[in-house]
Amino acid sequence: MSIVLYDNELDDGCYKVRLMLAALHLEHTRVPVGTGPLTPQLRRLNPRGTLPILADNDLILHGGEAIAAFLARRYDPLDRWFPADDPVLFGQTMIWLSFGAEALRSASVARRQAMFEVEAPSARIIAAARTSFRVMEDHMTARRLTGGRWFVGERPTVADIVLFPAFALSGDAGIEHDAYPALRHWARRFRTIPGFRTMPGIPDYY
Amino acid sequence: MTALPPSAWYPVALAADIDPGTANGTRLFDREIVVWRDSASVPHVWEDRCPHRGMRLSLGFVRGDHLACLYHGWQYDADGQCRLIPAHPQMSPPDTIRVPPLASVERLGMLWAHTGVESSGGPPLEERPVRPVRSIAVDCPPEAALSRLGYFSGPTGDDGGSGDWTVAAPAPSLVVVGSGDHAILIGIQPLSTRQCVLHAVIAGPGGDGLRISHWLEEFRLAVEAEAVQ
Ligand code: FES
Repeated sequence: MSIVLYDNELDDGCYKVRLMLAALHLEHTRVPVGTGPLTPQLRRLNPRGTLPILADNDLILHGGEAIAAFLARRYDPLDRWFPADDPVLFGQTMIWLSFGAEALRSASVARRQAMFEVEAPSARIIAAARTSFRVMEDHMTARRLTGGRWFVGERPTVADIVLFPAFALSGDAGIEHDAYPALRHWARRFRTIPGFRTMPGIPDYY
Repeated sequence: MTALPPSAWYPVALAADIDPGTANGTRLFDREIVVWRDSASVPHVWEDRCPHRGMRLSLGFVRGDHLACLYHGWQYDADGQCRLIPAHPQMSPPDTIRVPPLASVERLGMLWAHTGVESSGGPPLEERPVRPVRSIAVDCPPEAALSRLGYFSGPTGDDGGSGDWTVAAPAPSLVVVGSGDHAILIGIQPLSTRQCVLHAVIAGPGGDGLRISHWLEEFRLAVEAEAVQ
């Protein structure tokens, strides 16, 4: 078995995959990739020209959600991280996988602009990011009021994995956590998942 | 709409949302504050600024009854007095290195802080047993939320129709929406002139937290739509 992650340390999408690999305790090799356009060789692996890219022997995958979901399906024999055999849990997990890839893109773009571009992110993109966090906050508030602790089901899943980076890194784009107490709790709990690792922008304490 | 008093007691969090040993940043009228509980569960509200280089203390961590700054590890005791500078462990830090605390108190399931110089007492509200519902951030002036709560119909459902709700404001930043045997207490925290947080708890035996949470989401939708106009 040989897993290779083409990885940029500062990229929130790559962080999703690093979190999934760590939660599954999977051996892997990381190939560091700089910020900026991908080389032609990497573009051949992912025509979209984006990270993360994962190679599992001959299989090539791209996109944080797709890779995390694949890893959970292939390498978690108990199917806890992606409870795909239960149609209800599967459907609920899919909501948050597509949310992570679509709705939270605004948070990711805002952060990238704030960190690497001369112009600050537009008010519109910040508002879109805050709207997405609000959807998550209302969901986790309802979960708490009905005894739930994670986005889906009774234990952490790939849904929590793909949602964590955007929220934990929101301060990079100037979005504070004080409007999201339920997410703050969830993020604190998330840090206790065995194998949890930080990245630049997420304080390393506790 | 009368403006909120600049010097008064305001809620800064639901008590249940600040776990022992954790620090959380928030704001009162744009002033950055840190709300934290020491490991004995005593709450503290301070200016969110480390005297060393001005970094936010809310990013730091709690060690026993000290709050430690994330950046260079300076530690402050329960009074805000600096007690340890890790780069000079032998030195006892001078009294002048101190984080200004705000007067704070836990009441009605919320943590309150005073924005002025008052040092004792607490908000003039009688304590009673409550259950937390949620905090909800709303993008509208705090005064708008306060006055709109006065005529927003209460949650409907088996435990109370919308017709028999009464609304009272026993303090400038507290609204009590009552019906039958229970009441929803809503503390209003002014983050800035354009944004506020409502902290909601239930008093009395009835009241369904989830339904009240959804009702607050409807309220947010209504008052934000009006704020935009
Ligand atoms: S800024 Fe707080 S210890 Fe240096």
